[in-house]
Amino acid sequence: MKGLLIRNLSKTYFDPYAGAHVTAVRDVSLSVNEGEFVSLVGPSGCGKTTILNMIAGFVPASSGDIVLDGRRISGPGPDRGVVFQSFALFPWKTVLENVAFGPKMRGAGKTERERIAREYLALAGLGNAADRYPNELSGGMQQRVGVARALANEPDILLMDEPFASVDAQTRMTLQEELTRIWQARRPTVIFITHDVNEAIFLAERVIVLSKGRLLAEVDVPLPRPRVWDTLIEDAAFKTLSARVLHLVRSG
Amino acid sequence: MARQVRSPRAGIAFVAPLFVLVLLWAGVVRAFGVDPRIFPGVLDVARAGLDSIRDGSLVMHAAASLLRVAVGTALAILASVPLGVAMGVSPAVSSFLAPLFRFFSVLAGIAWIPIATLWFGYGFGAITFVIFNAVFFVVTYNTLLGVASIPLPLRHAAASLGARRWTMLTEVLLPGALPNIVTGIRTGLGFAWRGLIAAEMIATNVGLGYMLFLARDFYRTEVIVFGMVVIGVLWLLLDRLLLAPLERATIERWGLVRA
Amino acid sequence: MTTLLRLWSFYARRTTRWPGVAAAIPFIALIASWAIVAESAIFPRAFFPGPLDVVRSFGSLVYKGILPDYLEDSVVRLAVGAAAGTALGIPLGLWLGMSPRAYSALWPVLLFFQAIGDIAWLPILLIWFGFGLATMTFVIVYTVLFPVVLNTVLGVRSVPIDLHRAALSLGASRARILWEVVVPGALPNIVTGLRNGLGYGWRALIAAEIIVGTSGIGFLMFDARRAGSVVEILLGMIILGLLWSVVDGWVLVPIERATGQRWGLITQ
Repeated sequence: MKGLLIRNLSKTYFDPYAGAHVTAVRDVSLSVNEGEFVSLVGPSGCGKTTILNMIAGFVPASSGDIVLDGRRISGPGPDRGVVFQSFALFPWKTVLENVAFGPKMRGAGKTERERIAREYLALAGLGNAADRYPNELSGGMQQRVGVARALANEPDILLMDEPFASVDAQTRMTLQEELTRIWQARRPTVIFITHDVNEAIFLAERVIVLSKGRLLAEVDVPLPRPRVWDTLIEDAAFKTLSARVLHLVRSG
Repeated sequence: MARQVRSPRAGIAFVAPLFVLVLLWAGVVRAFGVDPRIFPGVLDVARAGLDSIRDGSLVMHAAASLLRVAVGTALAILASVPLGVAMGVSPAVSSFLAPLFRFFSVLAGIAWIPIATLWFGYGFGAITFVIFNAVFFVVTYNTLLGVASIPLPLRHAAASLGARRWTMLTEVLLPGALPNIVTGIRTGLGFAWRGLIAAEMIATNVGLGYMLFLARDFYRTEVIVFGMVVIGVLWLLLDRLLLAPLERATIERWGLVRA
Repeated sequence: MTTLLRLWSFYARRTTRWPGVAAAIPFIALIASWAIVAESAIFPRAFFPGPLDVVRSFGSLVYKGILPDYLEDSVVRLAVGAAAGTALGIPLGLWLGMSPRAYSALWPVLLFFQAIGDIAWLPILLIWFGFGLATMTFVIVYTVLFPVVLNTVLGVRSVPIDLHRAALSLGASRARILWEVVVPGALPNIVTGLRNGLGYGWRALIAAEIIVGTSGIGFLMFDARRAGSVVEILLGMIILGLLWSVVDGWVLVPIERATGQRWGLITQ
């Protein structure tokens, strides 16, 4: 099966300060089809970041398995690209070098990887920034580089860990619209983690609500694309969905 | 910043590798049949150590060294903190004098040994001067910096709340500069300790440095190694059990992460 | 009062334009005070010579070729020792920073040997290698090693974990992460380590030259002490202070700041 399959995933760890075992993720099962955009939403501590870290391979699962395109996952790899809340751009590399990093690791030659990098920079609307350093860019631009960098490696699935939480509200909305545009152009498989209900609905085709480590509900988002905040914010269907998901999150 | 979970476990984790080192040492010496005049075995060193404790020589030398450090450091702190505060309070004075004190901090310690022995002759005076010197300039400079970097709004706030000079000093300036002062003391003591050992090798006839140098004349490597271990342990105890926690406590307590 | 204020404003304006002047004026004042104290002969002239005596001695030692030779010897020893200490220290620091197991095994050993200090090694080194270059080089390498290792470890650990993870999820192997992420990330701290190492290193050099030496600035000072000549001791101290201030202030600190700033890692 193409896509991501998670079966009975659990994560328990020992917290030295609490002096006890904590279960962050409890028996979660879900699937994401190829080319689908799924949001994972829930309050802080609901386990969504832990799930992402397990899919990414940064953290081992306590039990259950994660299968991507028929292969079991263990450890990180270029098949699962990650976009971080902290941007995680390499400060000593230029924007171009950052985006070209993945291809470089795969062994692409200089001209080849720069070509790929420029292509994805253009996609993300950053053509002019190629030779700048990350610390010269605004937060919003840095995160676009982060997205371009992850996509340039053409991973099987893109994992996004609250990527827009560190930017201001206006920039966030712009970035969300940019992301949907990029997604419609390339159709990567995406899992998007957020605590913002509206953001989750705006971006995704399906919203998965988590609470206290458990999967609470799955909500389909049949809203048409392209989606734009100016219109969507007044749309009746959006408002109904938003209220419903919010209620689920808060009651969970 | 989370509190360190300190436990006897941490203590064991620290000592264990050193213990392994001692075992390795014993093993290597035995296996390669090393000449004791080149490098002593563990038992020889232990025996020499016990002898020196029994005949009182260790206590005599260690006490002499520690006394010099204590006196020199105490005098230096008493002199340098008030001076540093007085200088730090005025931006004009501190920016004028800071380069001077920075220059002399650079020279702290060992470089003063020749001139100290010339001015004070051999013995307690010269060595204590070297120690005083090592701590004085570093602590003054750090105190100066510490006071000068207290945000002016803080001082204004205190003044507008009615703080008079003495209160300002004890409630604002000293606490505000305390992290820098403690860092300065720790750095200065580091220079002082090394200056002490060096000075004792040249300029006196009692002290840990002297104990090492004398043993060298008689090729008594086991005494030398024992002395080195004592020096290492003393500094570790002083730095890790006293100074580092003190430094950490002053910074943590004030939650200061000053740029 | 107003003349004082005018002088002060003149000083303030000049020094803002030329910060070098600001740095120099206090020293000029110091030298002037020194000259006055020396002239007044509060202390016997033999124990407390004046700045002119020191300058005269400087001139004569340069003329005789002694000072340049000694300076060269000292600087070369320090450079060699520092290079060796750095070449050993950086890889060791990288290893300890990246491997938690190696760290917990070796850290206490490292701290203990650092606590012993380089000077305490001299007696046994003299037995092993005698009064020569090997002894002095060992001392300098030993001294430089610890700041370099400690700061490198700090640097490695201060690389944010997200950067490691980003590299892993972009397909980098552990070896490539070392070169592409860890080393550049730790570089500002490594440079700080080098700077600290050199700072301790030259002190170790002086001590070694005093105790062991046959040449060098430290030896110059101690030999002068033996001959009872304060002038040369003061000269030696001034040269040391000046040399280090120049090297540290105009070479090392700018490098340190440049690596940090360039990558936006230090917001100064």
